[in-house]
Amino acid sequence: MLSAIFLLLACQLAGEVLHRLTGLALPGSVIGMVLLIGWLALVRRERPTLSAVSAWLTAHLSIMFVPAAVGLMNEGPALERYGLGLAVATAVSTLVTILVTAAVFRWALHRFTPGEVGRRPVAAEPTS
Amino acid sequence: MSGGGASPDGLSALVATPLFWLALTVGVFEAFDILSRKSGRHPLCHPVLWTTPVLIGLLWATGTDYAAYKADTFLLSFLLGPSVVGLAVPIWAQRERITRLAVPIALSLTAGAITSIACAVGILSLFGAPRAILASIAPRATTTPVAMAIADQLGGIPALAAVIVLFAGCVGSMSATPLLNAFRFDDYRSRGFALGVSAHGFGAARAFQVNDTAGAFASLGMALNAVMTALLLSLVAIAL
Repeated sequence: MLSAIFLLLACQLAGEVLHRLTGLALPGSVIGMVLLIGWLALVRRERPTLSAVSAWLTAHLSIMFVPAAVGLMNEGPALERYGLGLAVATAVSTLVTILVTAAVFRWALHRFTPGEVGRRPVAAEPTS
Repeated sequence: MSGGGASPDGLSALVATPLFWLALTVGVFEAFDILSRKSGRHPLCHPVLWTTPVLIGLLWATGTDYAAYKADTFLLSFLLGPSVVGLAVPIWAQRERITRLAVPIALSLTAGAITSIACAVGILSLFGAPRAILASIAPRATTTPVAMAIADQLGGIPALAAVIVLFAGCVGSMSATPLLNAFRFDDYRSRGFALGVSAHGFGAARAFQVNDTAGAFASLGMALNAVMTALLLSLVAIAL
């Protein structure tokens, strides 16, 4: 258990060090994620505890960003002025991104990996 | 102060300790989480959506300022870092799938990440928003902790980024099925991946409700887009 926690913290720390040394705008934790993928590729073994710890953390992500979201209490003026713009831009961006991603995926699947086409055929999906 | 024992002064001083706000945050969240489970995890019942205004109300009512609350609940926010690092585990677990479909995944991920940033920042700038607000919406497709970290890096407002990401998750997970049906996308891999890239964890949760393959590709899309968007925006930051 502790070794899994240490591995996560060590990768994050190394990520922060790299972030500060290189001036790269990538957040330290994201660099840490990439470092951990590298470590898992380098040192191959079963890691049930690491899987359990990271799954537990991921399952409880929501409560961890409550303290930050409460910070909105100081952002009243910005929300009042740009609230409509934020809502429109976020909604349009979300829908267009879904369509573009799905379209490029479908096109590339047919174009570059024809063997994969129809490997998982789909029945009509119920709308809900 | 009267020395020790049960005194009202001692009780009101409790409001100023980390224990009080930590316990309250976990308690309020858990209550809304139970309601969210009862609703079958409907996006609009997401516990953060309801816990946040309740806590803001309590802070106002007790005259506590945000800086004090933030310091008291540091224990919760601290866990975001190791959790983001831990996203490496599911990505690594799906490596066979990633290598088999490397080209469609890489191309659609890049296209989706660029579309999301360009679309969100482009539209919002039409509303005359300043840079701090634009920096808060730019990472809107990534999972919340990553979006907050990116917004912070770019001089944006992490709290705003968190709320934008939640809103994007609600919009994406509620409209994906009719939207993708309308354009006749009939492959669960492309459907799921698109949902994860655009609507992060909310999208993945929705995809898992529909189909396991869609869910697996949505989680993959979410994890990969956290890295891709961070990478693209750090390049933008260097260029500016």
